[in-house]
Amino acid sequence: MTVPAWFERFTDAIAAGDQRALGCEACGETTLPPRQFCPACGSTALTPRPFGDRGTVLSFTEISVTIPRFHGETPYTVVVAELDGGVVLTGQLRDATADDVAIGDPVALGVEARDDGPALVTFQPAEE
Amino acid sequence: MTAHVASVGSTAYGRQPERSSRELFAEAVAAAFDDTDLTPTDLDAVSVGNFMGELIEDQGHMGPLLAEHVGAREAASVRLESACASGGATVRQAVSAVESGAADAVLAGGVEQMSAADLEHVTDALANAADDVYENGQGLTFPGIYALMSRRYAHEFDVTREQLAAVSVKNHANAVDNPLAQLPKELTVEEVLDSKPIATPLTRYDACPISDGASVAVVVSDGFAAANDLDVSATIRGTGQSSDAVALQDRPSLSRTPAAERAARAAYADAEIGPDDVDVAEVHDCFTIAEVLALESLGFYDRGEGARGAVEGETAVDGRLPVNTSGGLLGKGHPVGATGVGQLVELTKQLDGRHPNQVADPSIALAHNVGGSGASTTVTVLGGV
Repeated sequence: MTVPAWFERFTDAIAAGDQRALGCEACGETTLPPRQFCPACGSTALTPRPFGDRGTVLSFTEISVTIPRFHGETPYTVVVAELDGGVVLTGQLRDATADDVAIGDPVALGVEARDDGPALVTFQPAEE
Repeated sequence: MTAHVASVGSTAYGRQPERSSRELFAEAVAAAFDDTDLTPTDLDAVSVGNFMGELIEDQGHMGPLLAEHVGAREAASVRLESACASGGATVRQAVSAVESGAADAVLAGGVEQMSAADLEHVTDALANAADDVYENGQGLTFPGIYALMSRRYAHEFDVTREQLAAVSVKNHANAVDNPLAQLPKELTVEEVLDSKPIATPLTRYDACPISDGASVAVVVSDGFAAANDLDVSATIRGTGQSSDAVALQDRPSLSRTPAAERAARAAYADAEIGPDDVDVAEVHDCFTIAEVLALESLGFYDRGEGARGAVEGETAVDGRLPVNTSGGLLGKGHPVGATGVGQLVELTKQLDGRHPNQVADPSIALAHNVGGSGASTTVTVLGGV
């Protein structure tokens, strides 16, 4: 599959510790790229805004039945986490299994290159 | 202009890998026209709900293909795609065309052929309803998304897996007497919990099966019905439709479906009724959590209370508000593009008094059809005639 250039820029920035979301000048909403319009108010006044590399688990699931591009990798755990700065991201859990995490746990953001598709957003357990 | 359901038709839902979309669709259309003096040449328009024709059958352009195949070559035909809400969207489009006076007789249909592909590929096809980069690219599957919603909901409201499993037990039991159903099965809560894990905490029986099938409804204006001396089966009282962010992470809450709340408000206002007036409902229970969220979004239960419906028997066939008397997506099956129209087929039978799980004398029925994890929703309110 092709990797969109915007997502490559997004994950490259995470790898460099300089991750950015988009802040709306008009209403204050924070969203993820790529966007030309604020989904909350329709304004086009969006500017890059840094967000944190620490967050908390909102939910998680261990995947047993997957799609061809993750063939042979099950089971693995996908986490949705809210990062400092109000950004919510979906990524794979590293250095732990689904049995080791709970909703509300602190996690650290990372990124992992893949040969055959977009980079993976990752989370690993973090200290409080 | 008021829109009526003149007749309905459906194939059985189930695994039929040797049958193509055109064969399935034609069977449903034949069943619908069997009941009337109309023929498909009377149709002004044909609207086909279909999600994965390109992905499973290498077949796009399903509108005219299927219209031609059922003897309605000249009708204005289009295929509508809104993931698992494709069928509901075709119903709404047909109703809008008739109510506006743009058409007098419209076929609202839906069809899906899913079982011709293996499980990994059909899971991949279903994943097209999610955000390819932020969700699928991260390894998330469609059941995985509902699993995330399920776990979050259980965390916020202290609802157990056993309580969610009660939805599956109820709907599979309702499927037993429905000749159209794929999984007529008496299940226990333990059997649901102990079935094969798909995406924790969801197991095989928390999820609907892979299905093939087609369903259609002939929607006509009151003028057309009178001119043709039609004995219509139901009246469309109101419709609503709304959308939301496709990616779960882009919504303010993982445990609610605001598009359904908005679609319901619009449909209730259009029909000039409230949730208390609904006598029977078909809701989009692609996973057990989805029925619970539906009951709350539709205003039948307060937030956090939806699981009570199945646990306490309130949504059973003989309960206060029977929900998914067909067996629902869990028990009847979910040929994605057909489902929203299939709900109309079931509710029309209820209002006509000829449903295999007939409820006592219903006058208002409601259908709720969801695309993706809640990014598109249609709600249709039907009345008896």
